[in-house]
Amino acid sequence: MRDLLELAVSATASGCVYGLIALAYLLMIRPTGIINFAVGEWAMVAAVGGHLLLSRYAWPYWLGMLAVLAFMLLVGWVTERIAVRPLVEKGAALLAPILALLGVLVITREIISVSFPPDPLPVPFPFGFGRLEFGLLAGSYQSFFIIALTVLVFAGVWLFFEKTLWGRSFEAVSLNRKAAALMGINLSRVTALSFAGGAGAAGLAGLLVSPNVSAHYLMGVPLAIQGFTALVIGGVGRVEGALLGGLLLAFAEQFTTRYVPIPSGYTQGVPLLLLMVFLLFRPTGLLKAKA
Amino acid sequence: MKSSLRWIAAFVLLAGLPFFLGSYYNDVYRKMLLWITLALSYNFLFGIGGQVAFSHFAFYGVGAYSIVIFLFQFHLPFPLAILLGIALCILVALAVAIPSTRLEGFYLALATLALAQLFVVVLNEGGAVTGGPGGLANYRLPEVFGVRIAGPWYTVVIVSLLLATFFVLLRLDRSWFGRACRAVRDNPEAAAAMGVDVARTKVIVFTLTSALAGIAGMVYAFVDNTVNPPIFGLENAFLILFMVIVGGSGRHTGAVIGAVLLFLLPFVLSPLVGHHHVLVFGLLVLAAILVAPKGLIGFYDAFRRS
Repeated sequence: MRDLLELAVSATASGCVYGLIALAYLLMIRPTGIINFAVGEWAMVAAVGGHLLLSRYAWPYWLGMLAVLAFMLLVGWVTERIAVRPLVEKGAALLAPILALLGVLVITREIISVSFPPDPLPVPFPFGFGRLEFGLLAGSYQSFFIIALTVLVFAGVWLFFEKTLWGRSFEAVSLNRKAAALMGINLSRVTALSFAGGAGAAGLAGLLVSPNVSAHYLMGVPLAIQGFTALVIGGVGRVEGALLGGLLLAFAEQFTTRYVPIPSGYTQGVPLLLLMVFLLFRPTGLLKAKA
Repeated sequence: MKSSLRWIAAFVLLAGLPFFLGSYYNDVYRKMLLWITLALSYNFLFGIGGQVAFSHFAFYGVGAYSIVIFLFQFHLPFPLAILLGIALCILVALAVAIPSTRLEGFYLALATLALAQLFVVVLNEGGAVTGGPGGLANYRLPEVFGVRIAGPWYTVVIVSLLLATFFVLLRLDRSWFGRACRAVRDNPEAAAAMGVDVARTKVIVFTLTSALAGIAGMVYAFVDNTVNPPIFGLENAFLILFMVIVGGSGRHTGAVIGAVLLFLLPFVLSPLVGHHHVLVFGLLVLAAILVAPKGLIGFYDAFRRS
């Protein structure tokens, strides 16, 4: 029982990380329809940024974290300016920006791989290494930190979409771009913000996961796969779906590793399997979009 | 008549060249031919069929590994090993394509990304069957009718593979099926209204081109006489996509140009940037999409029109 609950806490934590990546996809897909596979690389960039500021230059954690997140917002905004906006303005097919972003993915990864040594780069824990126990529930400081921060982010994003005028204009754009533009909503500003927000969410995921796994220039693609799978499971329609999908995927992965006697590497097959099952039987995801 | 003469001339030219090359340049030449073969079939999937997939190189790997495993681990006869290898490619392709192409959107891209990632894991964890991280080596092409093909003659086999692949794809492209593929790419709703079964067309294109990649992989298995996991990783899956984009997607000539250029570029670039030529590829692709969406072949077209 103890063992099971401990596993549940760590699965929840990694589910939160997947949920954040799924959120990053979702923020960009809703208003633009663009799937940006570079989110994994953005998480990687933030993790490397964490290594640089927190480990190499030993900044205080909160300051370093804010600096990295601010940098990620800038990265998202610049990416949109360079690789997305010119194509959208030209009226190119949806595939064009998706491919351009694949180019950005490779460029990002190569820049990091050129600039840093190929070994895993350590990133410090914000509260050191230790365990927290609430009765039967127990887990590392980092697990609880990840869960708390993710819940905060999701609550914030949910409130933004539901309660603010800005969030409403995002929704309007995702429902009907032309009508939204006619209503006076600035399309390019919404797109730029959605990319900045996506990079921020992906960057946060990278920062949160990096103390456990270390920053490495190849860490992006697995995260991109897991995050997108989480999105497919939860459904693109609603923000909560991203988190739910992430949790489901993480539980499936960790329980497979723990209880199914196969080499641990094969758990990388779990996202593919879940993806296939959901595409076949539940293509809209678990949560339906609101009408 | 004229066109068959052209095919024969191309064969004689391409197959004659290796007899004048040393063993190093023969090796470079063989790999270039294989890249062109892969780029041609990927172009049919991505450029003509409009499907983004990252599994093309994984299927190349499935072909290469399966022929080696069936021949030298299970000791099956040569023709049976080839057939089983192709069957395996088709089976995996169907398993991925049928769920992914049921829906609009880019689910195939993600599914194949996951498949390509998983394939390398399976190779590494496969123990004695796949040889683990070290892969399989120390095998030789079996004798066919008492003859073992080697040296430049094996290059002739690769040339035949390339031309056969090109021939099949060209015939398909010019048939109703090629037009159906382009219709599905450009406007699925309109294609469906014209009576094209969109999902089925997508599944067939994916399975067919994946099987072609698998066959190319079988030929590759006896080029280096070793197969190991790093060759079949995601890096090369991106590279093949980049070749088609830079050359000009949807055009056979474009795929050939892109494959030759991106294959030879590292040889030119390595004194300048070392092993970081992938960075240059990324920039090239971004530039191609932003500035020249028709690829290099687009410049040639513009030149001819003017």
